[in-house]
Amino acid sequence: MKRERIRNFCIIAHVDHGKSTLADRLLEFTGTVDPRTMRAQYLDTLELERERGITIKSVPVRMNYRAYDGTEYILNLIDTPGHVDFSYEVSRSLAACEGALLVVDAAQGVEAQTVANAYMAAEQGLELIPVVNKIDLPSAQPEEAKRELEEVIGVDAHEAILASAKEGKGIDEILERIVRDIPVPQGDPEAPLQALIFDSVYDNYRGVICYIRVVNGRLKAGQSIRFMATGRECQAEEIGVFKPGMTPVNELEAGEVGYLAASIKTIHEAQVGDTVTDGVRPAGEALPGYKKIKPVVFCGFYPVVNEDYPQLRDALEKLQLNDSAIQFEPETSSALGFGFRCGFLGLLHMDIARERLMREFNVELVATAPNVVYQIVRTDGEILEANRPSDFPDAGQIEEIREPYIRLTVFVPSEFVGKVMQLCQDKRGIFHSMDYITPERLRLSYILPLAEFIVDFHDKLKSTTRGYASLDYEHVGFRASELVKVDVLVNQEPVDAFSFICHKDAAYHMGQAVVRKLKELIPRQLFEVPIQAAIGKKVIVRQNVKPLRKDVLAKCYGGDITRKRKLLEKQKEGKKKMKQIGRVSIPQEAFLAYLNIGKEEED
Amino acid sequence: MDTLYIGGGTPTFLNPADWESLIEILENGLSFSRGVEVSVEANPDSLNADHMRLWRSWRVKRVSLGIQSFSTEILRWLGRPHDEKQAAEALNHCAENGFSSSGDLIFGIPGQDLRLWHNDLRILSGYVNHLSIYQLTAEPGTPLAGERVASQSEAYPLYRFAQWYLGSRGFLQYEVASFARNESWCRHNLSYWKQGNVLGLGPSAWGYLDGLRYRNVAPLMRYLRREGLPWEWTESLLQEDRAREAAILALRTRWGIRWKTFRRRFGEDISRELGKALSELPPDLFVKRNGRISLSGKGFRLGNSIWERLV
Ligand SMILES: Nc1nc2c(ncn2[C@@H]2O[C@H](COP(=O)(O)OP(=O)(O)OP(=O)(O)O)[C@@H](O)[C@H]2O)c(=O)[nH]1
Ligand SMILES: [Mg+2]
Repeated sequence: MKRERIRNFCIIAHVDHGKSTLADRLLEFTGTVDPRTMRAQYLDTLELERERGITIKSVPVRMNYRAYDGTEYILNLIDTPGHVDFSYEVSRSLAACEGALLVVDAAQGVEAQTVANAYMAAEQGLELIPVVNKIDLPSAQPEEAKRELEEVIGVDAHEAILASAKEGKGIDEILERIVRDIPVPQGDPEAPLQALIFDSVYDNYRGVICYIRVVNGRLKAGQSIRFMATGRECQAEEIGVFKPGMTPVNELEAGEVGYLAASIKTIHEAQVGDTVTDGVRPAGEALPGYKKIKPVVFCGFYPVVNEDYPQLRDALEKLQLNDSAIQFEPETSSALGFGFRCGFLGLLHMDIARERLMREFNVELVATAPNVVYQIVRTDGEILEANRPSDFPDAGQIEEIREPYIRLTVFVPSEFVGKVMQLCQDKRGIFHSMDYITPERLRLSYILPLAEFIVDFHDKLKSTTRGYASLDYEHVGFRASELVKVDVLVNQEPVDAFSFICHKDAAYHMGQAVVRKLKELIPRQLFEVPIQAAIGKKVIVRQNVKPLRKDVLAKCYGGDITRKRKLLEKQKEGKKKMKQIGRVSIPQEAFLAYLNIGKEEED
Repeated sequence: MDTLYIGGGTPTFLNPADWESLIEILENGLSFSRGVEVSVEANPDSLNADHMRLWRSWRVKRVSLGIQSFSTEILRWLGRPHDEKQAAEALNHCAENGFSSSGDLIFGIPGQDLRLWHNDLRILSGYVNHLSIYQLTAEPGTPLAGERVASQSEAYPLYRFAQWYLGSRGFLQYEVASFARNESWCRHNLSYWKQGNVLGLGPSAWGYLDGLRYRNVAPLMRYLRREGLPWEWTESLLQEDRAREAAILALRTRWGIRWKTFRRRFGEDISRELGKALSELPPDLFVKRNGRISLSGKGFRLGNSIWERLV
């Protein structure tokens, strides 16, 4: 029976255009979620998603739908995130679907991620169903949105569905169109099993749980299976579907989306992108899988207490299961001890990873300032990759430093175009192109150093355009730049965690900001502590943390003695939470606040 | 019994008849050495001629007065029942009766500038050979909780001034908070800082006996009815912790730690560890002489940060 009655689709859109809210209505309409347990953005289950009101993880759900003609369908929906940092999350979900609802906010029109996600889906051969959402808004311009869909993206929008996820308008039409327009999944249930792992999550009881799309063959509970990339064989202990909670079933057949648990303990055994096949009758080849994604932003994560290093590693491994775009490898810092150099797809991605490690895995960590990967051409002609300042050789051995550039696309109302161009120029951007989408809106494109982009470009863009601009970017390779490495010395000792790379014209200004910030954050010690910023041997900025002059001196007779001792012990405990650099205790905030320096500077 | 200190707030609450029975109890129960130092604590407002007479005819040598300040506003702000006239009278009475008196002063009170503080130090140092200065803190659970009192950096000039001013008037700072002229140290307090044995009597009194520290129960009735020992709390430190505490206490005083004695008492290892911890700090915090280490004037100002290295 089955395959003809299955439709697999995802919801894609620019950030905040209403994907998760639309998913809510679909869940309600199909009776998938009990109305009593319904809440807004039902599928945003991570604490962080709820707090920040954004989707971070793609979430699959299976719905049963009885169409107008009375036929029963199984609809597998995947709600995806809209933020540019999470586009890898979207791309993986696309591989599990035959179609996508392309949602556009009727008041905002086509934005940068609408374009990026639509192209990504079209490239993978997905059928697109355009949905113009939020038509209930007074400022909605559905006809305008449709025109933009046609002109900017090139989809046929005359059949676009007008909807309001908020008021539940257009939901029935969307469901009917899914059934009508989205292709039946291809695949042969009788062929050897091939199932794509498109995501995974760690569960304390069942180990790694793989989210799979069965492409060919069947997967039965208890069946022996093989992971094709690793060759590991085991038994499918539990298979099931998302309703939206994990619900065991006996069999998943070609075309279906579900999960698989097989007492897998580590990520190395079951990688996202791998193919699961039958242990007895394996498929000839694996599915194409995913391109390994390259992180673009790096920073160091260090446990606050050195002994927690194994916990941090464990937590990173488990988080990586649920966020395969994260990469990490061990590194040591003379200032911070043992930790990990971690790679991310953007600053928001990095921030979310840090928060998730702390909340979901209870590890306390310190994060160093983020940076991009640099290419260094040495005087002897060799090319090095440096993904942190301490990888830089001595200035004398450097012939040329190259940094990654991006092509940035900004969608912006014409009234703000001057400001956005100014911002791009301040960030060392090179003008590329500009064209009108509508008489009031432009698409502006710049070539920009990634390093300048990651610091705070997004926030700045939002504030200069009052939130009316959107952006997307792609990598365009390395280019030579006049960069310098600035070291920061605390009490004459260079603190590697504080070193940074910047354009030579910004070195003084940035050094000044960093030194000032550290001076504020490092508590007074018993001796004067000089803080310096230096390029090579040349000190460019210096300030001193004045020594402590007096502390509390209470009287001390009889029972005061015990009280006093306890106070001193507590005082000492407090210091233990700080990082000891030579003779100086530096509070954790110093390492974190560092990240915000660029931002605060111009506020 | 080398020293006896009758304190705990206001022994002047007792009327002369009570005092007579107290003296009788003490005389019967304790054996006093020759040259015993007996001190009593008194508040300027409740001290009277009868007390003086009784004390003089007994063994009392020192009277410790809770002066706090000579400024009416400050005394009122602190909620003290006396005024500056009563304070001066009390000091005069003590002198007339031949007691060696001592006074306490408080600094770090809002509105107390260097001029007012100078005045307090000037007046008190004209009367006494021994005085203690305390910084006001707004401890939670006390009436001052939440009050804005001077911060450490605001209090610095006041403390620094006291060190200098009292020094110029012949006082030696012999402990973090204590100053004395003509070697009139309070021997009783010194025994705390030497980790000496102290028998604490009375409700909520503290005592220390060969490594065991205790506190008596606080409510008077429970103290009186208690059979056996009236201890409500005790602690007994391990040898190593006792050594750390001994070092911290010794560093409160100008005599500091005498390494030879310290090693004999606590052993080589811990002595070396503590010596090393101190040697990592800036040298101008210490005075090192004749096998001793003690805090310099600057060291006294930074005691907490130094002792922290020893716990
Ligand atoms: N007025 C109106 N508001 C809507 C509608 N749909 C969604 N919203 C609101 O738009 C905001 C964003 O909605 P979400 O569903 O979280 O958007 P999203 O596309 O899932 O966002 P990301 O997952 O972070 O990309 C929320 O405040 C919704 O309440 C609609 O049809 N009308
Ligand atoms: Mg969402």
